[in-house]
Amino acid sequence: MSFTTKLFGAAAVAAVASFAMTGAAKADVCDTPSAMGDMGSFAGEVITIAGSMQGRDEENLLATVSCFEKATGAVVKYSGSRDFAALIVADLQSNNAPNIAIFPQPGLAGDMAAEGYLSPLGDETASWISANYADGQSWVDLGTYKNADGSEAFYGFPFKQDLKSLVWYSPEQFEDNGYEIPTTMEELIALSDQMVADGNTPWCVGIESGNATGWTATDWMEDLMLRTASPEKYDQWVTNELPFNSPEVIAAMEVYGQFTRNDDYVAGGAAAVATTFFGDAPKGLFTSPVQCMMHRQASFIPAFFPNKGEEVASGEADFFYFPPYSSSNMNFVNSKGKVVLGAGTLYTITKDSPATRALIEYLKEPKAHEVWMSQGAFLTAHKGADLSAYASEAQRKQGEILINASTFRFDASDLMPGAIGAGAFWSEMTAYANGQDAQTTADNIQAAWDAIK
Amino acid sequence: MISRTLHHTVLALIVFIWVVPFIALVTTSLRSEIASKTSGFWTAFTPTELGHRFSTHDKGSTEEVLIMTGNIFERLNLQEEDFPVSGEVKSVLFKGRVPDPDNEGKTILLRKLVPVGEAMDVRDGDFVFQKNGDFTWTFDTPTAPKPKKLDAFIDQNPVFAPVAYEEVLFENEHVPNALISSFIVTIPATIIPITIAAFAAYAFAWMRFPGRDWLFVIVVSLMVVPTQLAFLPILQGFSGIASWATALNAWMTDCEATKSCQVASKSFASLWITHTAFGLPLAIYLLRNYIVGLPRELLESARIDGANHLQIFTKLIVPLSVPALASFSIFQFLWVWNDLIVALYIGPNNSDDLVFPIRLQQQLGTFKDQLHLLNASAVISMIVPVIVFLAMQRYFIRGLLAGSVKGG
Repeated sequence: MSFTTKLFGAAAVAAVASFAMTGAAKADVCDTPSAMGDMGSFAGEVITIAGSMQGRDEENLLATVSCFEKATGAVVKYSGSRDFAALIVADLQSNNAPNIAIFPQPGLAGDMAAEGYLSPLGDETASWISANYADGQSWVDLGTYKNADGSEAFYGFPFKQDLKSLVWYSPEQFEDNGYEIPTTMEELIALSDQMVADGNTPWCVGIESGNATGWTATDWMEDLMLRTASPEKYDQWVTNELPFNSPEVIAAMEVYGQFTRNDDYVAGGAAAVATTFFGDAPKGLFTSPVQCMMHRQASFIPAFFPNKGEEVASGEADFFYFPPYSSSNMNFVNSKGKVVLGAGTLYTITKDSPATRALIEYLKEPKAHEVWMSQGAFLTAHKGADLSAYASEAQRKQGEILINASTFRFDASDLMPGAIGAGAFWSEMTAYANGQDAQTTADNIQAAWDAIK
Repeated sequence: MISRTLHHTVLALIVFIWVVPFIALVTTSLRSEIASKTSGFWTAFTPTELGHRFSTHDKGSTEEVLIMTGNIFERLNLQEEDFPVSGEVKSVLFKGRVPDPDNEGKTILLRKLVPVGEAMDVRDGDFVFQKNGDFTWTFDTPTAPKPKKLDAFIDQNPVFAPVAYEEVLFENEHVPNALISSFIVTIPATIIPITIAAFAAYAFAWMRFPGRDWLFVIVVSLMVVPTQLAFLPILQGFSGIASWATALNAWMTDCEATKSCQVASKSFASLWITHTAFGLPLAIYLLRNYIVGLPRELLESARIDGANHLQIFTKLIVPLSVPALASFSIFQFLWVWNDLIVALYIGPNNSDDLVFPIRLQQQLGTFKDQLHLLNASAVISMIVPVIVFLAMQRYFIRGLLAGSVKGG
């Protein structure tokens, strides 16, 4: 029971009215195309969830679980913090574990599994994921870790995915300038050159993000690794089987440099890349007059557009798939499917209970996916979820890219050890943006990796 | 005389430096989200030339016309109720492909700023606009033109509205709830340590007992223990207490029927205890140094009149120590009110009970995309400490000298 809610409810009638309104809105949320199976009954049982999602994401998560609450009578309590990674470790070590922890980085989940803080989800769930998710085996591998005894088990249920291989642009600007959507990397580079010749600036790039500065650069690198090298090489790169300073990685970095270390290519010049906040970078597409023509960023970025993504619904903004090379020696992707880079959150059980297990079961229901799809800012690789549930046409298109992915690869920096993926990789890519050459950058990251082996 | 002017200049400069961020915060919180993200706060007070993109008309019209008229401001303000754009249109950016004069069969991109009254070729029509935003779009033959988006440069009048405040205060319960939670945490976390510290300070100053000085040295040295170091053991302690409380609850009440036996280990009470523990060393040190400076004759005459320790403490020490008590309570109040990290690790984590600093941090959103709300909430959170400080500043200045000047 919340003391403050009561106090406030007594103090302000307006709040009561707004409570009533959100209550009414939630009632409709559960009407999705797919019906829900029997989830059991857990009247009054409290399930606590901890994660890093806040604001709108938090509201959407609560809307999604509200259908489970209604069906079973369980009560879900969520606490989200930007400092999730630090807090969850303290909570697990001090015996304050929530029932479910939502990990954005598989690496941290693996560490916690190794310390024995996670409960396995079982082989049945693992084979369900493998059968029902697009490129399901890659998701099972992501959530499979060694436990304290050193034996492997499946711990992380993937729910809510992001798509990274997207280039955002303004269709209006493309029309005014007479540009076509490129379908190969060669065309994309030719288009960028055409824009420069016309006196336009092709790209907006920003990698500043406080103490995480550099992470957008690592996304670029990962997307380019998947295109200039093969997915197999990518996997070796993630585990450092393929050293960071090997020719393949340096080649990808040089291509990234072609795009972002070129004063003609980047709005504000190459020097602005390291100091532009990643969330401000896409605004250059919409300023009056425009600062740039294209922006490569993940599916979440419309939230940073000046009108919070309404631009996508109104047709002011659109995206195309960050294309692969067409030249045969670079074409590792079969012609039907697409190679897709993404990320996502993993749901793990940190304190077991029957109600908690039921909630994980609920995440297998297409309904759970459809509820969040209809709220926006959500993509799923679940093949059973009805695509018509997506809140917008743009999201449906992204969902299709994800489901039709022949090869899905998870954000490499999230898979690498923290000291690299959330450390040297970020800081060295920032140094690269500031003019350090590719060989030195790669050598430095490899040296940092050698140091933690 | 010179040194006085110098003093005043330096003082004015310091005040100015301290006040600028505050003015920036308040100004930004009253501006539209787009304006505050595209131009600095200092441009908010005077007409500023800013680019705005408008579309000539709505999609879907099939009516064939020779002349289309409209107003740029009307088009811009169509969906903008709170921050209407007004001012003077300076120029419109024209952009389009024209045949390249040097290169047969190729086109080049032409871009130029078209001033007021000059015609430009938009979708084969003549587009002319006026300073007040009126535009005409003339065609040779009746056409149903597709809407066109154009960039207009407008010398824009300042516009402010308290939209962000309305949103954080009235549109959801988060900010009001957080304000109440912060008071629930801060008031006991100020009163409890100051009460305990006043008793302890009296004992250290005027009561004789073996090991008094050593004990005082230990208490003072506790001031250097960093809070962060203690989080994990404290949390483990609270978790142990909570499991005891849960067992006690299950044994004494019929909570099992409603499945509500669980006593949270992260609660308001944990915060009170933690803040008290970390506030005590400084409080004892500060108050002891003040109390020890009170005139000895006063206490001795009270003793001769037959007063015991408790009477001396309540009747003499407390009234005489008001400045020191007040100044410490301001310290403690501000520290607890602004505390983020202790509340994050040890405080309640369900969303109704979050304290203000955590709510502010959350307001940023997962990806820091809601900065405009943060400004308004930050101003609201600043008001409380400002009121507390103004109400008690009389004591604060006297209390700052507490213990530093003996005799008095």
